[in-house]
Amino acid sequence: MLPTNSALSLLWWGVYTILGIWAQRTAPGIDFFAPGFIVSLQEQSPQRTVLLAVLWILLAEGAGNLPFGYGLAQFGLLTAAYFMGRSLFEARSYLFMALLGLWTGAIHPILIYSVSSLANLQVDMRPVLVQGAVQMAIFPVIWFLTDHFFPERLRQDVRPL
Amino acid sequence: MRGKKKIAILVVASLFVYLSLFTWNLRTGHLDALSSHTGLDISGIVLKPGIWVTEQVTGFWYRYIYLVGLKQENDRLKAEDAELRRTNMLLGSQARSAARLESLLDFRPPEKWAFSGARVIGHRMGPAAALNTLVVDKGKALGVTDDMPVASLKGVVGRILRSGAATSTVLLLTDSNSRIAVIGANNRSPGMLSGQGYGKPLNLRYVNQNATVDPGELLLSSGLSGIYPKGLPVARVTKIQRSDISLFLTVQAEPLVDMAGLEEVLLLSLEPGEQAAPAANAADSEAGTETAKEDANGAADQ
Repeated sequence: MLPTNSALSLLWWGVYTILGIWAQRTAPGIDFFAPGFIVSLQEQSPQRTVLLAVLWILLAEGAGNLPFGYGLAQFGLLTAAYFMGRSLFEARSYLFMALLGLWTGAIHPILIYSVSSLANLQVDMRPVLVQGAVQMAIFPVIWFLTDHFFPERLRQDVRPL
Repeated sequence: MRGKKKIAILVVASLFVYLSLFTWNLRTGHLDALSSHTGLDISGIVLKPGIWVTEQVTGFWYRYIYLVGLKQENDRLKAEDAELRRTNMLLGSQARSAARLESLLDFRPPEKWAFSGARVIGHRMGPAAALNTLVVDKGKALGVTDDMPVASLKGVVGRILRSGAATSTVLLLTDSNSRIAVIGANNRSPGMLSGQGYGKPLNLRYVNQNATVDPGELLLSSGLSGIYPKGLPVARVTKIQRSDISLFLTVQAEPLVDMAGLEEVLLLSLEPGEQAAPAANAADSEAGTETAKEDANGAADQ
């Protein structure tokens, strides 16, 4: 039988993933897993975060329609921005989350353009730019909600400043 | 200084590994297959129960509770049925005589295609969905293969882009990367129909300046690319322009199917024992990427 905390973590992230898939079906082009990834980086062990990242990368790539590469680059760049920004900002501050949202939204059109160009595919960039702007705005909100409902028992850190 | 050098080496190494993985996947498709059999199928497993419940609830409402206008609709359908029966009677005799003449002239009989229905469970999903696609609830386990034609009762919808075990992605004909070899229903002028994005008109390319195309003419699949069967309705011509500097006509068309409102589609497959055009298939298998496949089909059409 699974230890209680692991079972709770599995259940919580399982429900989060299901809600994320439905949200991504409803709002095309928006990533609902990236804020959860940041919460996991802040609150969970690295092994668990890596497992979640692998699952979400596969979901993004499988449900998407570009050749494999977008999700890997997006999570890689998000991780790099998080660790670099952590040395300048308080890791759980709302300002830092807003900046990470700006970063996620800004890299979305760049990655789409890069991956589609490398694969010689034509993509209409106008809706992609809109999606990037929406992503910028929605990222801190989802992070806040995820952080708010994240079980206290699973936390390794304190509440946000 | 040493720290900066380390970071630079790390960035270059990451970029190298990433581009190597990307190129390897473009050539082999292994990572795409992995993500289709995991991510796409998991998404399908998560979405299907919710969609089933929604359909049951809305179906119950419309079948047993919301019965407004049922009598009028029934009368209209009866009149439509009678009209279709009359048309069918005339066309049936024509079709039988055409088949008789073809057998007299020793024509090879046309390929036989089987239709199977699939439910649309999503359109573009996730941040990596930049192309115009939709997701259907059938996959390789039920015989779905890449490039399988997808249609609705009104006309062609697109083709299978990639498939998981129980879920598949369909590339819509409105996408910029879609190419379909077509022929005019009345004037039989050939061309290649390409999409320009959702909500934008389709572009009929490579139609000679002296070819005859009428506004409102139906465009049918020509069957030359080996993917679509011959004669499926694809689009309707909306605008024709002649240019002094181009060798070809500028022709725009609109799809016959409302892609946003699709709930069910038909997947077309060759019946056992039938084979698609070998030349086009060979071209398809040689092409490494999806785009290369499109280009090959486009070339075959010309």
